[in-house]
Amino acid sequence: MKKKVLSVLLSTAMVFSLAACGGSSNGGDSAADKTEATTETAAEDTAAAETAESTEETTEEAGEATEAAASDIDTSEHVVINYMTTGDRPDGKSAERLDEMLAKLNEILTEKVNAELQIYYIEWTDYLANYNLTLAQMDGSVDLVGTASDWLDAWPNAKNGAFLALSEDMLKTYAPKTWASVPADHWEMCKYDGDIYLMPEDNYAQWTNHGFTYRLDWARDAGLADGVHSWEDLTTYFKFVKENHPELKAVWDSDGTQYAQMANGWIASHTNFVAIDGLATGALWGGTKDDLYTVVTPVMTETDSLVDYAKMMKEWDEIGVWPTDVLNNTSSQNRDEYRVGQVAAEQHHTQTWTDLCSKTEANTIYADDEKAESGFFYFGEETDNVVALSITHGAMAVSAASEHPERALMVYDLIRNDPECYKLFNYGIEGVSYEINDEGLRTTPEGYDSSTDNINGMTNYWWGRNDDIEIRDASRNWDKIDELYAKYDKVKIDYPYGQFVPDVDSIQAKIDNCNEVYTNYMKQISFGKYTGTAEEIVAEMQDALAQAGIADVAAELQTQMDALYK
Amino acid sequence: MSKSNSAEAIAVPHKKRGFFGNIIKYRTLILMCIPAIVFFFMFSYMPLPGIWVAFVKYNYGKGIFGSKFIGLANFEFLTSSGKLWSLTKNTILYNLAFIILGNVLAIIMAILLNEMQAKIFKKVSQTMMFLPYFISQVLVGVLVFNLLNYDTGFVNGILEVLGMEKWQPYADPNVWPVLLVIIYLWQQTGYNSVVYFAAICGIDAEIIEASKVDGANAFQRIRYIILPSLKPTIIILLLFALGGIVKGNFGLFYNIVGTNSLLYDTTDIIETFVYRATMTDFNFSTASAVGLYQSLVGFVIVMVVNGVIKKIDPEYSLF
Repeated sequence: MKKKVLSVLLSTAMVFSLAACGGSSNGGDSAADKTEATTETAAEDTAAAETAESTEETTEEAGEATEAAASDIDTSEHVVINYMTTGDRPDGKSAERLDEMLAKLNEILTEKVNAELQIYYIEWTDYLANYNLTLAQMDGSVDLVGTASDWLDAWPNAKNGAFLALSEDMLKTYAPKTWASVPADHWEMCKYDGDIYLMPEDNYAQWTNHGFTYRLDWARDAGLADGVHSWEDLTTYFKFVKENHPELKAVWDSDGTQYAQMANGWIASHTNFVAIDGLATGALWGGTKDDLYTVVTPVMTETDSLVDYAKMMKEWDEIGVWPTDVLNNTSSQNRDEYRVGQVAAEQHHTQTWTDLCSKTEANTIYADDEKAESGFFYFGEETDNVVALSITHGAMAVSAASEHPERALMVYDLIRNDPECYKLFNYGIEGVSYEINDEGLRTTPEGYDSSTDNINGMTNYWWGRNDDIEIRDASRNWDKIDELYAKYDKVKIDYPYGQFVPDVDSIQAKIDNCNEVYTNYMKQISFGKYTGTAEEIVAEMQDALAQAGIADVAAELQTQMDALYK
Repeated sequence: MSKSNSAEAIAVPHKKRGFFGNIIKYRTLILMCIPAIVFFFMFSYMPLPGIWVAFVKYNYGKGIFGSKFIGLANFEFLTSSGKLWSLTKNTILYNLAFIILGNVLAIIMAILLNEMQAKIFKKVSQTMMFLPYFISQVLVGVLVFNLLNYDTGFVNGILEVLGMEKWQPYADPNVWPVLLVIIYLWQQTGYNSVVYFAAICGIDAEIIEASKVDGANAFQRIRYIILPSLKPTIIILLLFALGGIVKGNFGLFYNIVGTNSLLYDTTDIIETFVYRATMTDFNFSTASAVGLYQSLVGFVIVMVVNGVIKKIDPEYSLF
């Protein structure tokens, strides 16, 4: 009897562990099978006519040579192109909507290039690890890869051989409109070692400089008539909110990852430092606005400012700006909480604020409270230190393991440049997910449900948006947004290191160590969780960074920068 | 197998049978071993050449053997961090605690289960002990956080109701060695005790009967019969466990401590450090270099411990 129990238990254990191994992700084939969805002929015809016209126009621009080449391409075999993007896979009703859109899109893609598109999602949890892992598999499971040089390891992956080097001939032949629309100096910024790896999103106006979105109406109540314009103002604001709005879940339901942007923001607000993107999580190395090509390390030199920062964050921690165990808070939904009025601040970039400040359906604070208004304090406001985003903040690459790289390029060329495909892919089906009003702005049709019908939030196409086709969203608060954009345009500088893709093989170990040290200390400093005085913790961090080789890295970067710019 | 074959095998003199002769003679035993042989060949021997990846600059496109050889450069990151010693120390100390306390507790539980007379109680308690083993580490991390966090945690909720001062474990590195060991024991004891329980079931019932006739009480029975009979099992399990003493329990540490740098002094093990540090460049080669370092240290430890046991009592050594 005992033995029987034992054997049952042991076999259950085995079955469980087997099941655990087998539960790998597979999916994304349901969408493709629905290509035969019925379509409204009338709407289709007009849309098709429009597309034909605009296609003609663009092709003429692209030149005759490409036209001749395009006709030679063999597309007799029907292929499936997998497009990889970060984002959570929609389910239920949303998935149905997405499938409907994809069915329509795939019909067009099949007709034009005999291919269909599937979306391969990298879920947000541990997205960077999963993203890199999926690329490293090199099994042909993805073709088009959405990537970014500053937040998605585009360059490390290009160096590791995950991306296909795109020759000019290939681009001219298979993605002629994209090739024609991206200027030569932008292509230069997408090269590593002489080869093009990325197709940049360079014709889309957006600002991704970070800052705090806050409740302007509450800031006024706190005595900041003009809103928040400095870190000190933020302290006043947070203190006021904590005391006067006990109904909130938290003043700011921060998670433990916010330290990096906060520290970068502090440095932007107090120096004229311009960081080099993509080396490490923290902005450790960069130049200054006055002298862009001399490498400096503000974290080592701006000691007084960092001590002030450490002190202020200790104060914020004592006020109770964030949850006490913020460093272990991993499941924060702060942005959604902001939308419904459970928190009073959100740290993210301008693009996010343009959504949060608008009276959209999801942002219920505006419906609940007439006075509600959202302001934006951008990092660097005090010193006018604003850098326009690099054009590779969003870019498309082709996986080196793709079996159909040519067709992948053809599909990309369509969803980037063909108005019909673009609108389907970005906005969904007209009449279901969006409508165009009399002013030519994009609105939501009757019966629209933002939680299920928002295609834009499902396809996550951030790798080739195109202002030539983009239709402005009517629900956005354009007056306020344009006002801020105008302010930015006055002070901004272009990202200066677009072409600087350093070869870091010899210093990678040191960069990793510096990053590790910086992360560990900056978390404690940025959330005021350190023991001892502010002076001590900053000195300790600087010692550890010096030991980790921050100066050696700076020297090596300087050498490579001199070779490129001098 | 044909009859003539076996006839031949018998005809060959015992000492000169040779390799193939042995294969034929022990064919049934070998046949029974095949699943295990195939398993170890596929999962332990076939990937061995992959160690090479620790010495190259790995390029996805070129593959392991096509990538550029860079010697020991991948190990540099481990040594240059200056943390190798404290990480190895943390890893080994935690594992020692897990191995020693885990086994002691598992043996005690197995003996207690064995002594239980009420059948239903015995089965219920065994199942309950076993269940935590099936909870994913991710969920354990969430459970622990919901128990212990300062603002909304269960423990602090009770402390507050009782009018006591709240406890903030996520800001105190010193409590975590104890907490982590407790969590580990809670999760693993049920599973570990199964092996010992099976070993106890395997003890010859006649010996136990005889001891009862001789008037030995329960404690004497445990002290003089059960524990000595468990000795080989204990030693084998200990040896196996020691081989992995430099390999940390990543799931446990990462899910419970997360990236809370306040607690790293006492909770950072090799795995968690490497995970964080290599996340920035996703370097397989560095990770393999660390794996190789851990395996080498584990190998040395197993050889030494096995050698020591062999000196003391050759019967109990593994090889």
